[in-house]
Amino acid sequence: MSNIKEYLTNDHRRCDDVFAKMEDKANNKLSDAKELTLEFIADMERHFQREERIVFPEFETKTGMINGPTEMMRQEHSQMRNLMQQLLGAIENDDKDKFFGLSETLMILLQQHNMKEEQMLYTMAQQHLSAEAQRIVEMMDSLVVE
Amino acid sequence: MDFNGLSIDQAPPISGPLRFFITAPLFGIMAGVMLLFSDSASLMSRYSMDAIVIVHLITIGLFGFIMLGALTQMLSVLAGANIPKVKLISSLSHLFLLVGLVFMVFGLQESNSIALEFASLFLGSGFLCLILPMLYAISRVQHFTASVKGMRVSLLFALMIVLMGVYLLYGYSQNNITELHAIVANIHSVWAVFGFAGVLIIGVAFQVLPMFYVAPRFKQFCKKRVVLLISTGLFIWMFLSLYAEEYALYAKLWIVTFFWAFATTVWIKFNKRKRPISDVTVWYWRAASIFLTLGSFLWIFDEFFKHQYIVMVGILIGGGFILSIMLGMLYKIVPFLVWFHLNAEGYMTIPTMNEMINKNLSRAQFVLFIAALIGFVFAFYMPMVLFPSAVAFIVSMMLLEYNVLAPVWIYIQTKKRKPDFDMSSFSMTN
Repeated sequence: MSNIKEYLTNDHRRCDDVFAKMEDKANNKLSDAKELTLEFIADMERHFQREERIVFPEFETKTGMINGPTEMMRQEHSQMRNLMQQLLGAIENDDKDKFFGLSETLMILLQQHNMKEEQMLYTMAQQHLSAEAQRIVEMMDSLVVE
Repeated sequence: MDFNGLSIDQAPPISGPLRFFITAPLFGIMAGVMLLFSDSASLMSRYSMDAIVIVHLITIGLFGFIMLGALTQMLSVLAGANIPKVKLISSLSHLFLLVGLVFMVFGLQESNSIALEFASLFLGSGFLCLILPMLYAISRVQHFTASVKGMRVSLLFALMIVLMGVYLLYGYSQNNITELHAIVANIHSVWAVFGFAGVLIIGVAFQVLPMFYVAPRFKQFCKKRVVLLISTGLFIWMFLSLYAEEYALYAKLWIVTFFWAFATTVWIKFNKRKRPISDVTVWYWRAASIFLTLGSFLWIFDEFFKHQYIVMVGILIGGGFILSIMLGMLYKIVPFLVWFHLNAEGYMTIPTMNEMINKNLSRAQFVLFIAALIGFVFAFYMPMVLFPSAVAFIVSMMLLEYNVLAPVWIYIQTKKRKPDFDMSSFSMTN
């Protein structure tokens, strides 16, 4: 059976792995980490869009909560998007201290965000949308990132 | 349905946890100053007044304050649990504990019974007015993770040790030290270390290590059973030490096995973590594993030597394990809270977390702290080591205070200056 919570939680862990690889590469030589940083940003963007374009609207329609938790999550997404762009800037300027300062901040922001989603939002989404879970997971699978 | 856990409007205001974090190192400094003027022989007895005062300045003032401050923050993030009226409750609790601790120090030093009565009243209400609402908030959580269960068990132990502490302090105030007093004191201390602090750290580690360090996850057995097994061990130990003391060692072995296993697991997980970073928090976790291992073995060993090493066990486990983890956590949580609140309020041109605390100062703080701990252990054999160790401890606590205040200063300055081109007018939180 398709499970929204499991699907998105696995997505989190996948992004964490790429993040760790990116940091590892940057630790050796910052300029070599550009490719992995772009890959990380792309993975994160795909995950954000799976939520913002598919799961959040479905959740909002079903529960009627428009300015609730999903709005808060969108705001944190925008905080993260901003930090990720700054990561690329640090690579351009070859500023390792800045890069790791940003990556650390991003990591903590990301993980406390993930905890809130996994602990609360996904569990609720799965409960409210269990009948449509199959369709929603398929939509997430075939999403084309804008 | 309760969605509040996901809203920053409902998250505790930054002043809640920071209030506790800023005060904590001051008690560390105070404990260090008292160590300077203490006689090392009297410190070797766990029931000397000097030892009790210094221990409580550290356990209540330093790690109690850090744990409570962190819990006000973590409950909403880790558990989605919201403490009712958190701003009011955390400031009241902070004030009561502060006043209570000062009364306690004064009362015990001067054997002043009125001060001790006030101390038990203020400390008791200070702890309860935060612990009870936290337990209430957790009781409303619908989806329990291993970490949330750990927090709940830990808070239940906290509730019991606070009640025992109130009883003990009241006993001193009435100068009524019965046989029961020593028994309760023993349970109070063991449950505080392993039940409250130990279980809390283990519970939080289940979630924090895999997530923040991208370390391998804990096995289901650990997450599902360990907290229960430890708590059972602590209850069995209590009954045995009350009714069949000769067998209490077995319960101790039971408890120690899990803590030693935890220490080893933490070490291995850090070896296997995917993130390459190695900052002072990683050093603190590593140090904590080593000290916990040494302390656990010594606790068993001590049983065969008429408890003459019990103070050393306290230094290794209380200072080396619990305090190390608390301090390591502070280095993450304070800069993050400052960054997060400023960023969410729309200030975009702010330093990153790593730029808020000077790396060299945090390293110096770590080195001095560990050196002081090792010195305290050796002071057992060489009393002259006590003085330099106490000095190292005081300096490390002063550095800690500075390192906590540095991000707070950035927060205050940023809010005051309101840099150009920020987005604070569009903030969701103003």
